[in-house]
Amino acid sequence: MQEGRALTPTQINRDLLRPILEQPKWFWPAVFVLSLIVLVGVSVAGYMINRGLGVTGLNRPVAWAFMITNFVFWIGISHAGVMLSAILRLAKAEWRRPATRAAEVLTIFALSTALTMPIMHTGRPWRAIYWLFPYDFARGVWPSVRSPLVWDPSAIMTYLTSSTLFVLIALVPDIAVLRDHTTGVAHRIYSLLSLGWQGNARQWKFQVVAGVLLSALILPVFVSVHSIVSWDFGMSVTVKAWHSTTFAPYFVIGAVHSGVSAVVFVMIILRQIYGWQDYIRKEHIDALGRLLIVVATAWFYFLCMEIIFGIYGREADELAMREMQFLQYPWNVLMIIFAGITYFLPVALWLPRTFRRNLWIMSFACISVNVGMWLERYLIIVPGLARKQVFTFTWQTYMPSWVELTLVLSTFGLVSLLLLLFSRVFPLIPLYDIKEGEFLRTSVQVGRRTVPATIRED
Amino acid sequence: MATERVNHKWGMVIDLDRCTGCQACVVACHAENNVPINTQDRFLQHRAYEWIRIERYWEGEFPNVKARFLPVLCQHCENAPCEPVCPVYATYHNDQGLNVQIYNRCVGTRYCINNCPYQVRFFNWWEPQWPATLRNQLNPDVTVRSRGIMEKCTFCIQRLRRGELTVERQEGGRLDDKTMQERNFGPACVSACPTNALMFGDQRDPKSAISPYFADANEHVHEEDRKTRAYRLLEEMNTKPNVIYLKKVDQYPLKLKQGEQNG
Amino acid sequence: MNLTRRNFLTWAGISAAGAVSCNIPFPEAELKIQSPVRLPEDLVKGQDNWYATLCRQCPAAEGVLVRVMEGRAKKVQGNPKYPVNLGKQSARCDAGLQALYHPDRLAGPMSRTGAKGSGQYKAVSWDEALNILNSQLSERGQGLALITEPLRAHLSVIAGRFATAFGGRQLGFQTLDDTSYRGAVKTVFGQDVLPGFDLAHADYLLSFGADFLSTWGSPTQFSQAYGEFRQGAGRVRRGTHVQVEPRFSMTAANADRWLPITPGWEGHLAMSLAYVIIDEKLQAPGVDVGNLTGGRGIAALEAFRPETVAPRIGLPQGLLDGHSAADFIRELARDFASHRPSLAIGGDSAGAHSNGQFNLEAIYALNYLVGSVGAPGGVVFNAASPLPDLPAAAKVGSLADWAGVAEDIRSGKTKLLLVHQADPVHGLPKSMGFRDALAGDNLFTVSFSSFMDETTALADLILPDRVYLEDWGSDIPEPGPGYPVLGFQQPVVNPLSDYNPRSFADILLASAQGKAGNLPWPKLRDFLRESSDALFALKRGSIQAADSGEFWTKLLQQGGWWDDKATNPRPGAAPRDLLTGIAARAVPPAYSGLADGEFHLLPFAHNTLLDGGNAHLPWLQGAPDPVTTITWQTWVEVNDRKVKELKWREGDVIKVESAAGFILAPVYPNPALPPNVVAIPLGQGRRSGGEYAAGRAAPESANVMDLLEDRRVAVSGALAWAGARVRLTPTGESIRISKFEGSSPAREIGLTPSEDIFKTVESNGAAGAAH
Ligand SMILES: Nc1nc2c(c(=O)[nH]1)N[C@H]1C(S)=C(S)[C@@H](COP(=O)(O)OP(=O)(O)OC[C@H]3O[C@@H](n4cnc5c(=O)[nH]c(N)nc54)[C@H](O)[C@@H]3O)O[C@H]1N2
Ligand SMILES: Nc1nc2c(c(=O)[nH]1)N[C@H]1C(S)=C(S)[C@@H](COP(=O)(O)OP(=O)(O)OC[C@H]3O[C@@H](n4cnc5c(=O)[nH]c(N)nc54)[C@H](O)[C@@H]3O)O[C@H]1N2
Ligand code: SF4
Ligand code: SF4
Ligand code: SF4
Ligand code: SF4
Ligand code: SF4
Repeated sequence: MQEGRALTPTQINRDLLRPILEQPKWFWPAVFVLSLIVLVGVSVAGYMINRGLGVTGLNRPVAWAFMITNFVFWIGISHAGVMLSAILRLAKAEWRRPATRAAEVLTIFALSTALTMPIMHTGRPWRAIYWLFPYDFARGVWPSVRSPLVWDPSAIMTYLTSSTLFVLIALVPDIAVLRDHTTGVAHRIYSLLSLGWQGNARQWKFQVVAGVLLSALILPVFVSVHSIVSWDFGMSVTVKAWHSTTFAPYFVIGAVHSGVSAVVFVMIILRQIYGWQDYIRKEHIDALGRLLIVVATAWFYFLCMEIIFGIYGREADELAMREMQFLQYPWNVLMIIFAGITYFLPVALWLPRTFRRNLWIMSFACISVNVGMWLERYLIIVPGLARKQVFTFTWQTYMPSWVELTLVLSTFGLVSLLLLLFSRVFPLIPLYDIKEGEFLRTSVQVGRRTVPATIRED
Repeated sequence: MATERVNHKWGMVIDLDRCTGCQACVVACHAENNVPINTQDRFLQHRAYEWIRIERYWEGEFPNVKARFLPVLCQHCENAPCEPVCPVYATYHNDQGLNVQIYNRCVGTRYCINNCPYQVRFFNWWEPQWPATLRNQLNPDVTVRSRGIMEKCTFCIQRLRRGELTVERQEGGRLDDKTMQERNFGPACVSACPTNALMFGDQRDPKSAISPYFADANEHVHEEDRKTRAYRLLEEMNTKPNVIYLKKVDQYPLKLKQGEQNG
Repeated sequence: MNLTRRNFLTWAGISAAGAVSCNIPFPEAELKIQSPVRLPEDLVKGQDNWYATLCRQCPAAEGVLVRVMEGRAKKVQGNPKYPVNLGKQSARCDAGLQALYHPDRLAGPMSRTGAKGSGQYKAVSWDEALNILNSQLSERGQGLALITEPLRAHLSVIAGRFATAFGGRQLGFQTLDDTSYRGAVKTVFGQDVLPGFDLAHADYLLSFGADFLSTWGSPTQFSQAYGEFRQGAGRVRRGTHVQVEPRFSMTAANADRWLPITPGWEGHLAMSLAYVIIDEKLQAPGVDVGNLTGGRGIAALEAFRPETVAPRIGLPQGLLDGHSAADFIRELARDFASHRPSLAIGGDSAGAHSNGQFNLEAIYALNYLVGSVGAPGGVVFNAASPLPDLPAAAKVGSLADWAGVAEDIRSGKTKLLLVHQADPVHGLPKSMGFRDALAGDNLFTVSFSSFMDETTALADLILPDRVYLEDWGSDIPEPGPGYPVLGFQQPVVNPLSDYNPRSFADILLASAQGKAGNLPWPKLRDFLRESSDALFALKRGSIQAADSGEFWTKLLQQGGWWDDKATNPRPGAAPRDLLTGIAARAVPPAYSGLADGEFHLLPFAHNTLLDGGNAHLPWLQGAPDPVTTITWQTWVEVNDRKVKELKWREGDVIKVESAAGFILAPVYPNPALPPNVVAIPLGQGRRSGGEYAAGRAAPESANVMDLLEDRRVAVSGALAWAGARVRLTPTGESIRISKFEGSSPAREIGLTPSEDIFKTVESNGAAGAAH
């Protein structure tokens, strides 16, 4: 399915390298504003580390809340990259082409941002090295491999490394184009990064093989990362609401749900700010919208299962937790909002084709999913802890402090800033992929209609 | 100092029929273990520290109403859920049945606090503060915990260690119920408890007052088979606490109907 | 590259296997962790010493050991040898350390510079300060008043003789004074010293109002015995405890049965029980009912037929198990009389009504009917003082006495007031005007307090005393264990160099030199040493020594002297006509306060702060109230359903109004309080006393004494502090209650009560003894 007009390679180069070669007027103001947000976040983090976690709203028993929610949220977003690149690439979905790079880059930045959360959330972040690396830093004591908090960084690091390689490998041909379009220092840097790419057949072959290899490796990693993140909770025998056997697939599918939505939103933004109407076409958004219906429904199935498994056993304390989630203010309101904006509203919007092709509506639906998915984690983490065992005497609720609110908001600034800066130096849409798409694209006569098609010889 | 150590396994028995909820154990533990002062702010923030706390549960409605006092401290679980989740082995099990917390190793992830079913771990949200003069009281045998780390009941390990050192290594005796009581080597809360609701001893010492209860609870998995009032908190979780509770004797139980929600 | 499904799976497999195989397993040894806590070299090597002395955190003055390391006190703990508390302690005990090292401790003597109560003082040297004191003593000493804590033993002798030498008087101050109780003990048992109770061997305990596990009497001693009462080894059956009290005190919370009756009717209930016992001939064998009733038998108690009493005392319907209230009283009497040894005790609010002394007399008289006076499991009388000169009973002032002191000050009869360890300005009802009396210009006030308090803030001269852990002292426990005891208090540390206190006793002795006869000792220590020699001369008791020096050393090491071989003092026969006499004095309670007040106000001593004297100690402010778990605050307990009915919420600030005034405090919904009773703890509302005591204003911190009027208990003249009628009105404000319990109702969530974590067994008859 190919719509839109045909593009020549020169035009593709000109369009897609525009943000890099000609600086847009709004670029520095945008960078300035986002940097300011990040700076505020950094200062607040500094303040928190300096004063102690007392400045948060955390308490006993709610010892994890906003920051861990945000951590899981960004890990979830990061799943967009592989979902689109690896799966669609392996499946050779044509419409993936403009989306892959943005998705992969979002993966890297979301992951890095996510990692900052649990680290600054510890009491002594400066000691993170003790447990993040499998090495006996502390008096000959290795990190405890029994702890999900050791699995977690291992999984995330693996994912980060492989995603970065993935992006780099895909970038090499484009960097070579940039090398050829630049002069001076930039030229020299791009030369270095292009790793002597000449675009000969042998290099293309290696590039493709490496891409496929990495796709294949990264898929199990991708599944494992969010499974392992879910085990941060699932392994907790004590917190009834967390100790669920369905958590791993539930979290993975939820991550895909929020990640793909986020990618759609980023694509719409890119299309608007860089004038890439010819590359990010409504048909792409439409395709992603249809994919999202499937993902969302799969996710919704797990949500229902999680709740049913939770209440089926009719254990008093688990029921009390669910009662808090579903019946007590403000959690009940949050719960309704959450279910509405994560499933019912967006799916309703994705169903009609016209809505799927309306960028405003799509943006709205995708943001709605992400707000909802953020809430999902929050509603798992906080009520779970607030009602964690039968000791009703210790039950508490939780309110975030301004510190946590600021930190969470600033992570959105950070990811946006990183994406923006990236788009300034590397093309966010892979040139060669688009060109390949153009090359393969043709029209076929089906009955009386001429329809676009992609011919490929395997 | 490489002499063989006595193979103790410490345990506590809490008689709910004796406990009056008087809070003597709570304050004694504060004094012994340099527990930071619980200011009003800490209570308002729900961050007060009580290594041993007295939970007060209500049952029924006026005039058929009862209050129940339940002392809760670290249960020193043999199968402690807090231990495996700690990435840095800051909390681990020692060979005397104690769940030990190593302050300088802890990085403050608070995973252990999530995973402790008994809610007895306390995180230092703030740097603990004492007015300069009050610092004179601090126990030199106990670390003052800095901000950012986890702390909890240690079974007063510093007293036990001092006892082992003095009685077992220097004098060649054995740290038993009597020596612990008379020479202040037992936990501070046990020593304070005016009703003797708290008992402490060595599970491997058949003469200890606590051993029959441990023997009973270990031999008879099912509560109904037990000869004593012994039970463990959340026994079904199989955390295997080294703290045993003795059921309260209820002379006039409230006649709530079976299945009726209490309260 | 050809990507088929098969290929993909192969690659995925190889990649994953590669990733997994990189995980080289750790050697087992690396997983074995050793804790530095276990290494002996990490233990502090300092030598610690444990010194025996007495606790002065409350009037019970029990024996403690203090751990001292390098000149600093580190821990206070019960003295296992001391006969009263047998190594045990209360929640207040440890906090002595905080008094010792308190940042707000007064550093040295101070003389007033500004107006009275302005808080302006200048530091003066001890020489100057003592000069002022001595010149004041010679100028205006005649008719002085010396207000102290309730004193026994040596300090009582010194203070008493000192005051007498100046033609003045010495009185012990108690906020909730026990003079009615003392009066009742005198009438019923003919004793001047308060009795003890052999709870450990009692089978049935009927307690009226006395919060004996928390603050009343000698709580650690009672708690120790209570543990035995419950589950003592070798008992035939577990003791049953019934608490008759309109408030759900910590003691009521522990009772097997709590009977909230209308405040002030405790005596009528007790008399009704007596009626049933006599009527149904349930008295213990050998009890001479004729003697008690003046030969009139049941006729003497006709007014107390259960049918007459039951409608008046307000037993809640829900408690009666389908009985009529009168039958319930009969059942109670049968239980009480048949489970011997049974014991009836009363105190606190039961004795604090206009008819309080009658209530207490009626309660204690029950012990004669069940044969528990002076018997095992019953009332135990205190032995006489081992040294006849040392008083074994504290002399406590009643409200009538305090009114007299205030009057003497106003009339100019008393021109010099000396205050030690007492804060009458905070502890007396505001309506008595004690603050104004002290603020008058004719009076010179000397305070010997180590801390600022309400009375000290009005003083002209402050001579900070040593804190008890730095000072000498002694005590004869009251109630004691039934045999003679003389406890000795010794300094266990020197004061920090930041502070420059001097011993109150030594100042009195020095000032009395040459003026007052009969105080020949230069220092308190000399007096104590003299008594030590006297005890040595008795050649009996707990200390064997070759000479008096060794005796003295051992005395201090052991924390006192006692003689458990001395025979238990036997009581005399029951006074003739006891019940008839009491019946004749029976009157209903006359409530004070607002006639239209909907609620009975029951103030109570705070578990750790008591009347507020401990309010400066952060451990005690932070120790949760056992029932509500509230800390650092005043609160008003109101029945939870009443709160709901009035549409209030926890923390709503309520104006509590009586005829004498009002206070503001947040409401705590308490499921265990009669709907017509409110309870407010003492202890807060301090206006001076440093950061911890006085740092908070209303409604966080208010003094319930401000609500009380000058109403007295008939005969004893004590303050009738229970049962004032108050009105509650919401102010519309709300604050957060700083309590330890969480934000949900702390109830068990099992399907049946006590299912999940707090487990109970039902006792059936003789069961439930040792195990
Ligand atoms: N964390 C963790 N994960 C595991 C395992 C583990 O040990 N730990 N074990 C693995 C293994 S071997 C298995 S088999 C799976 C099991 O995984 P699940 O099948 O998810 O097992 P459970 O959580 O035991 O039970 C699921 C739900 O069924 C409810 N239930 C109980 N009785 C009934 C009934 O009669 N009818 C219905 N419809 N529901 C009922 C329970 O209350 C519970 O909520 O988990 C696998 N995953
Ligand atoms: N109370 C309770 N009981 C249950 C259940 C429950 O939900 N609650 N669930 C039931 C269910 S669904 C199941 S499946 C069973 C599971 O019960 P089991 O089959 O007993 O399962 P595990 O205890 O997980 O594993 C058994 C042992 O296999 C060892 N093992 C692991 N890998 C290998 C291997 O490669 N080779 C060999 N030889 N040994 C290995 C493990 O170390 C462990 O000691 O439990 C059942 N019993
Ligand atoms: S009670 Fe909690 S902290 Fe103590 S050992 Fe068990 S799980 Fe760990
Ligand atoms: S808070 Fe400390 S003890 Fe607890 S899991 Fe984290 S590192 Fe371990
Ligand atoms: S055993 Fe020691 S550390 Fe534990 S609660 Fe008791 S006093 Fe505190
Ligand atoms: S000291 Fe003993 S009786 Fe008092 S609350 Fe603690 S355990 Fe209970
Ligand atoms: S009851 Fe407590 S405060 Fe009073 S003397 Fe005894 S130990 Fe000290």
